[in-house]
Amino acid sequence: MRKFFFSLSLAMSFGFLVSAQNRIDFKEFTLDNGLHVIMHQDNSTPIVAVSVLYHVGSKNERPDRTGFAHFFEHLLFEGTENIPRGEYMNKIQAIGGTLNAFTSNDITYYYQIVPSNQLETALYMESERMLHPKIDQIGVDTQREVIKEEKRQVYDNRPYGTILPETMSRAFAKHPYQWPVIGSMEHLDAARLEEFMDFHKAYYVPNNATLTIAGDIDYAEAEKWARAYFEEIATGPSEFYRPDIQEPTKTAEIRDIIYDNIQIPAIIQAYNLPPKTHPDAYAMSMLSTYLTGGNSSLMTKELVDKQQKALAIAAIPLDLEDGGVFLMYGITNMGIDPKDLEAEIDMLLKQVQTEGISERDFQKLQNIIENNLVSKNSSMAGIAQNLAQAKVFFGETDYINRELEYFRKVSREDIQRVANEYLNLDGRVVLYYLPKSAEVTE
Amino acid sequence: MKKSILYLLTLLLVQTGFAQIDRSTYPEPAQAREIKLGNADAFVLPNGLKVFVVENNKLPRVAFSLVLDRDPILEGDKSGMLGMVGEMLTGGTSNRSKDELDEEVDFIGASLSAGSTSLFASSLKKHQDKVLELMTDVLYNATFPEEELDKLKKQAISGLAASKDDPNAISSRLASALNFGKDHPYGEIDTEATINNITVADIKSYYATYFKPNIAYLAIVGDITKAEAETLANKYFAAWKPGDVPSKTYAMPQAPEANTVALVDRSASVQSVVNITYPMEMSLSDSDYLATRILNYILGGGSSSRLFMNLREDKGYTYGAYSSIGSDKLVTSFRANASVKQTATDSAIHEMVYEIRNLRDNGVTEEELEAAKSNLSGSFGRSLESPSTIANFAINTQRYQLPDDFYTSYLQRLNALTVEDINAAAKKYLKPDNMYITVVGNGAVIQESLMAFGEVNRFTNMADPERQIAMDENLTANDVLNRYFEAIGGRDKAEAIKTSKMEAEAEIQGMKLNMSYVYDENEGKFSNKVSMMGNVASHVVIKDGKATVTGMGNSQELNDEQFEAVKMSMFIFPELHFDDLGYMVELQGIQEVEGVEAYKLMVSNPTGTSQANYYSVDTGLKVKTESQENGDMIYTDYQEVDGILYPMMMTMKSPMIPMPLASKVQQLEFNVPITEADLK
Repeated sequence: MRKFFFSLSLAMSFGFLVSAQNRIDFKEFTLDNGLHVIMHQDNSTPIVAVSVLYHVGSKNERPDRTGFAHFFEHLLFEGTENIPRGEYMNKIQAIGGTLNAFTSNDITYYYQIVPSNQLETALYMESERMLHPKIDQIGVDTQREVIKEEKRQVYDNRPYGTILPETMSRAFAKHPYQWPVIGSMEHLDAARLEEFMDFHKAYYVPNNATLTIAGDIDYAEAEKWARAYFEEIATGPSEFYRPDIQEPTKTAEIRDIIYDNIQIPAIIQAYNLPPKTHPDAYAMSMLSTYLTGGNSSLMTKELVDKQQKALAIAAIPLDLEDGGVFLMYGITNMGIDPKDLEAEIDMLLKQVQTEGISERDFQKLQNIIENNLVSKNSSMAGIAQNLAQAKVFFGETDYINRELEYFRKVSREDIQRVANEYLNLDGRVVLYYLPKSAEVTE
Repeated sequence: MKKSILYLLTLLLVQTGFAQIDRSTYPEPAQAREIKLGNADAFVLPNGLKVFVVENNKLPRVAFSLVLDRDPILEGDKSGMLGMVGEMLTGGTSNRSKDELDEEVDFIGASLSAGSTSLFASSLKKHQDKVLELMTDVLYNATFPEEELDKLKKQAISGLAASKDDPNAISSRLASALNFGKDHPYGEIDTEATINNITVADIKSYYATYFKPNIAYLAIVGDITKAEAETLANKYFAAWKPGDVPSKTYAMPQAPEANTVALVDRSASVQSVVNITYPMEMSLSDSDYLATRILNYILGGGSSSRLFMNLREDKGYTYGAYSSIGSDKLVTSFRANASVKQTATDSAIHEMVYEIRNLRDNGVTEEELEAAKSNLSGSFGRSLESPSTIANFAINTQRYQLPDDFYTSYLQRLNALTVEDINAAAKKYLKPDNMYITVVGNGAVIQESLMAFGEVNRFTNMADPERQIAMDENLTANDVLNRYFEAIGGRDKAEAIKTSKMEAEAEIQGMKLNMSYVYDENEGKFSNKVSMMGNVASHVVIKDGKATVTGMGNSQELNDEQFEAVKMSMFIFPELHFDDLGYMVELQGIQEVEGVEAYKLMVSNPTGTSQANYYSVDTGLKVKTESQENGDMIYTDYQEVDGILYPMMMTMKSPMIPMPLASKVQQLEFNVPITEADLK
């Protein structure tokens, strides 16, 4: 059962940069209604992942109706004209499958993994909710309550749970990335049923969607079913609202204190990033690995191991279509003043900016990235998602096989350059998370 | 061992033809593919190490996973030690410092991690020799450095502090303590004290006792043949010396005799974390294992379960409600949990208890059973996507002494279960009248409504009973204060003391802190100076009705509200001044603090700031004060000075300092002249 699609041409065109990544084969086509379909065959385990990516996220919402995309993530499990309310989840699970969905600032992604003999049922069900989901008052009312509890559980009741929304609201003054994906409960309360219907018509349509089928399939059969179930769905509007808002470059630091139900202070820094598809995104990703990826990374070694000023530290490039944020957080060790930790973080950032990274560290980053990319496509669910995102974000499905190539274009100097270009200490957001008990004395 | 493959046939129909699609019903499934279960190759090294190899060439990587099979260990006053073994192992070897080890692992993009019963390494195929060399360097030559342990203890104490505010951590700590008891390996609780007790010698002795090949299993999974794996296993693991490993037994925890409610009051909560739980025996080798998987799936195993459908999809009380039935050689637990809307806490518990009882009394339907079978079969099938699953199956079969065909017959046995089998399991394992109903939430809002479910016992965030001890109802706050004055030598003696000078010393992370206090109650003056290695770190001076704080070169006068707050500490015996300062004092019962029963007095100043003072029921002496601003202060070692008992040891605990700060009084004088220079 050995499968080895080693791409010779790729290896040749990039000389010594031989890729250990196995090629992901796929077939794709677009239906007349605009639905893009991607298929990947791997018959080693009798399962198949079926997913639909709708190119709509919180950034497509109206400023006074935030939380709609995430609301739909919930609503589209409620049922369709042919699938009674509450049955969607039950059916997938009762045929031996599993399912879930997530919403981001840019996309909404639904997926199920089912035994491969149930592929047709999975396609039928996904087509049902694209064709005619049932959006009624009962579903809206129930999910509104569920989402309020989701917000309390994930954000309000969880220590440090509000880091992301608090950061984004300051990192973006103009761009819709400023509001949280879960949205405003007031907006959801105020929204009428028709508004939800309209939102559905505007975005949850074939020409704004990508269907991916990965696993134990027969290409011809999978294509036949995809066509049979999705072709009849009417195409949607010819244009979609995609905010064309340039977030102005920050020239002054935004600094705030958030008092939370925590005992240990945390410090957050956020720097605005270029768009996800910008070539510098790869260098920023490597920079984040250099700073905090692995025990030997610069900040983990210095601040967690040696100085022991931080309990944990992480740099996460939150890549978004219109440019996300490079989020850094450090949780202080007990008794350490967050100011002290921040000073050390800044010193290390300046060190990278002025000195760059060594040749050995650069080689280490190459090795780590090679390992990460090999491991990225280890499951059908992962492959389905990576294929869909490659198509939607990067415009070509084969990006899944070319990602390493883009990383290999980054030079050692690029890493120092992007550290200077994007980690602008004068145009960043800095938040201190402090225990509520400290509020009284401050 | 030859590779054997099992074919599991299904009874499902083949679909033929593609006419016009019919949307009114679900499509017929195609014929199911057989689920092929590859066997792991197995061999044993002369030192007893059992090795399992699963070859899978999809990706060019290899993983080496070592697990030790030993009985659970009760750590007692060293609780938390096991959690540090892994990081101590990877904290450096006789060949490599920790820095060098970390660098070498990262350089090849590999992972290397350890736990108290595990050691794991993985890398790309091309680095397999290097990663094995690093893995076994850790296994044989770990040096367990003292400074690494100091770091881990510091981190553990910080982590513990964080967990005290995390409702889910509080909830799971409470559930474990109740289910298994704090004197059981699964119920014991790490505290600052137990963490501080851990020594390098403890970890070395643990390592020397338990890291033995004869209780270990090594799984080698990935792009590697059996022959190659055998060569590598011999090369790297043959030198590992076997040894006898002790075994342990424990008393079996029992479910409570009646439902009891355990509440942790977390006033900051905006939701209630509910966990309904009791201990139970269940393991992979139990004949009811599969029946309890189905039972749990129907009750709360996923998003089509009864709990989820009722609490989330029908009522909207929660983002999710789930249950679980564990599986463990020794003992495990039943749990049903949800984070629920505060105002619906009692309704949610009511529905959860109802679902458990209803399932026990009325059983499951044929339709539910079929759906559960399909789902569990599906998830079994999905698990095979990961090559490590087959290795785990092989290891489990030996560890739990399962029949050889346990996994190959898994689906057949699952599908053979009947409604009667599941209903019998429901009667046997669901105990709707013998549960701990644990709730972490805002007590002021929810406590009363919880009484409907059983006796409500309050616990601290460390799962200690919040003791409310019966108290003489006629006792007043003044009585407690009078007993305190009597205990220290009499109110008149205390009142006669108008000035005082005190020097105290403390140590923080190896550095000495000196604290000097000057009290002059005649003149309304006070000074508190903290110096570190000769330098003044902070200085608080009160005089002329003003308070000034100096520190780090800055000097700041406090505003009225802050002044009121510090005023509480400017008196030698603050209790003498409660009346004339207009403080409100309220007696709030008896609680156990610092191991003694104590009266709790809430003292509030006119601006509303309050602190709790505790006075020993037994001796009358002040044991502790708690305030949101200043943290906790614990008073011990009372000694007589000029006929008055005064605490010679004062220990401060606050989230802002890493460890309890114990300051020892070096010198104490009463009624000495105070000059302006003393305040400088």
